Amino acid sequence: MTRISENRTQRTLVTNTLLNKERLDKYSREVSSGLKVALPGDSSDSGTVSRYQQTLQKIDSYTTTVAQTKSILQFQDTIMEQMNELIIRAKEVATQGANETLSVSARAHLAEEIYQIRDHVASLANSTYQGRYIFGGSDDDDPPYDSTTYSEPATGTAATRYVFDAELGTAVTKVVDLTENLSINLNTPANRLFGTTLEAMERLGRALGGYATLPATGSPDGTGAAYTMPTDYPAQTAAIKNSIDLLNRARENEIIPERVSLGGRLRRIETAESLLGLTRNSAEDVLGRIQNIDETESAANLARAQSALEASYTVTAKVLRMSILDYI
Amino acid sequence: MSNYGVKILSNSISSLSAQQALISNSANNIANVNTPGYTRRQIELQTRSGGGTASNGIQIGSGVEVSQVKRIADTFLDDLLRTASGTLSQANLKNDYLNRVQELFSLDGTDVTIGSALNDFFSSVNQLSLSPANIDLRLNVMQRGEDLVGSIRNVFNTLADTQKELNDRIPSEVDNINTYTAQIAKLNGVIAQREAAGQPALDEQDQRELLFQRLAEKVQYKLVDNKNGTYSVFLDNGFPLVSATTSRDLSVTVAPTFGGATLPPSLSGESLNYIVYDYGGSGQPSHLDLTQAIKAGSGSLGGLLQLRGYAAVTNTSSFQADGALVAIASRVEALTRALLVDVNQTYLGGTPGNAGDLNGNSPGPFGLFDFTYSGVKDDGDGIPEYSDLTNPALGIDNFSSLLKFGVTDPAAFAAARDVDPAAATTVFRPGDGQNAQALARMLNSSIDFSVGAFSFRGTFDELYNSTVTYVGNAKSSAEVNARVAEQNYTSAANRRDEMSGVSLDEEFANLIKYQKAFQASARMIKTAGDLFDQIVSLI
Repeated sequence: MTRISENRTQRTLVTNTLLNKERLDKYSREVSSGLKVALPGDSSDSGTVSRYQQTLQKIDSYTTTVAQTKSILQFQDTIMEQMNELIIRAKEVATQGANETLSVSARAHLAEEIYQIRDHVASLANSTYQGRYIFGGSDDDDPPYDSTTYSEPATGTAATRYVFDAELGTAVTKVVDLTENLSINLNTPANRLFGTTLEAMERLGRALGGYATLPATGSPDGTGAAYTMPTDYPAQTAAIKNSIDLLNRARENEIIPERVSLGGRLRRIETAESLLGLTRNSAEDVLGRIQNIDETESAANLARAQSALEASYTVTAKVLRMSILDYI
Repeated sequence: MSNYGVKILSNSISSLSAQQALISNSANNIANVNTPGYTRRQIELQTRSGGGTASNGIQIGSGVEVSQVKRIADTFLDDLLRTASGTLSQANLKNDYLNRVQELFSLDGTDVTIGSALNDFFSSVNQLSLSPANIDLRLNVMQRGEDLVGSIRNVFNTLADTQKELNDRIPSEVDNINTYTAQIAKLNGVIAQREAAGQPALDEQDQRELLFQRLAEKVQYKLVDNKNGTYSVFLDNGFPLVSATTSRDLSVTVAPTFGGATLPPSLSGESLNYIVYDYGGSGQPSHLDLTQAIKAGSGSLGGLLQLRGYAAVTNTSSFQADGALVAIASRVEALTRALLVDVNQTYLGGTPGNAGDLNGNSPGPFGLFDFTYSGVKDDGDGIPEYSDLTNPALGIDNFSSLLKFGVTDPAAFAAARDVDPAAATTVFRPGDGQNAQALARMLNSSIDFSVGAFSFRGTFDELYNSTVTYVGNAKSSAEVNARVAEQNYTSAANRRDEMSGVSLDEEFANLIKYQKAFQASARMIKTAGDLFDQIVSLI
């Protein structure tokens, strides 16, 4: 027969009561926080929980970068769309100007419109996004194209032309890390996007305005003698037609490829967005299963622990009150 | 004529005396029902011998007498309880401390941990790489950098403070041990003296057993019964804490004579306590190291030492010590050193002068993550290296508590790389985020983390996650051990109580039995008196 001493009885009752209270505390903490793994010692999966939390943190960060990059590229896409329209309009004007029935003065009027289109193109090249020149490469606090004035050597007429910023960094293509394994180009340098268009429009404007352009190829430097009419009328027409070819090349070699490239990059971003979303869902799902409580199970555990503690209190009170003295 | 009347009286009187002794013993048991260490007593009765033969030769018996008062104890159960209480006190101590430590690596998502701060910092740098001149983003990088160094300092300092607290508890624990061993030796003397004189020393045995229990809660030892009423107490390495009536006081020192002039520091840079026995006498100390022997055993002092860690006197760094705290702190320190060396190297742009800020300035060797030190930090090549950190001239053991964020002006964060490294002059553009981008990529780069006995190859995240796993395993293991130890202790205490504990039910039942016997004996005396009166009335 086992001898049950008073101390043993008291120890057993107190130990069991405290154990039940500890369980109640554990389950009430779980239910109130919604987490079954809140500290490393709560589960052997604590390292996994930490890893998934970091994964979600990274996804948040990547998602922000992706959203910003997408916005920048969409802005650029809009600019390219406008560029395309401006080139088409410039070609229409040029085609009209190349008509040999047009008088010299009528051509000169068309030059005005071309210069306006050119200015618009330059302003697009100098577009800013959140205060920074988007096509300025790493020198994005300076406009990639500066306007400079000059006088026509033959007539002394004041004129404006656009010069690509010669500072280091303007021609840099910036790369952004969208995710751990995905980087894309954030911009194409302005000279590669707008250089030929501006050259074509400069040449076209000068030709329509009655001036030859030097150097013969490449960016105009503001020099070139005035045509002598009507002797140079065919040369003027040829220069206008050459400018149309140059506009075509600008559109085909620079604007359209850039739009295709932008479309491709935006598609990659959308794919990345989608993958990030899927990864987030998957990570949240796994993390939730490891870390979060099952409300039904936890509520049942809590109720069970509560009942057990109440039973402990009842038993403790009853047993400790019992004494042989009451029967003697 | 036979002398039955006299026999009736003497036997009854002996019974009265015996029943009173039994009642008195029950009263003592009841009085001590809640006395720690009390072992219930039991009186053994025996028939009184001699003089029990009547004049006609018939043996009636001479009544009853108390033969002895016994302590109802079992040395095996006492031993079991001592072992269980030593294990329990150690397991509870470790569980409590590791519970505090695990709070530093919380997973509930509400606190800033090193893990979340790391990701926030590198994420802010990646955001900046997209828009490198943006002052708001630069301020964000600075804030996240401050958060990161703050979280590292907080975790490391808490670990160092915890180690200090454990270290500081050692002297009082050793004082307790010395008090217990001195009292045990004294009681040994009293018990031996009393037993030699044929007098049981039950109360003293109880007191000594209680001291054995309390000593076991502090330190693991072996008991040797000297068979003369005394016990000797030995540490597991054979060192005699108590030899019969002599006790040997342990000492705590930060300058053991078996160590050199320079001893390994603690995580907080202070001195570690060694538990020693000084056999050299006053003025000429000569120490015997007992720290490792105590650390290997159960008891709270062993637990303190296991958590705090033991450092061989030949060690030069706090990270060469063992123990869970040092293991966790080593991981934090390894992370800190990677920030100071690997991340700073990248921040430098690979070579000095290759990265620059908005003002066109290039950072110094510890430009991003720095540490508080007034002297020269690098060896002159302008590149942060591990050899710079371990340079004895620097004399710094831990960098985590000295870590600070090196950028104090948002414009001074070097986000750009030299546009043309081949050119004679460096040019940094405000829109260039290549350096920030390279820095952000560090989060996913594999790095060799190493400090003291710890080494790990992986990313920052992987190092942090492995630390969380380490802390989690240490804590859950401590919790399981504490639970098992609690069960074992309860079981051992219950078993001892079954044998030695006072049961009030039993005592009251016995009391009634003894009372009835007493009443019966008193009645017998009255009966004997009546018989005498009857006889006298015939005369």
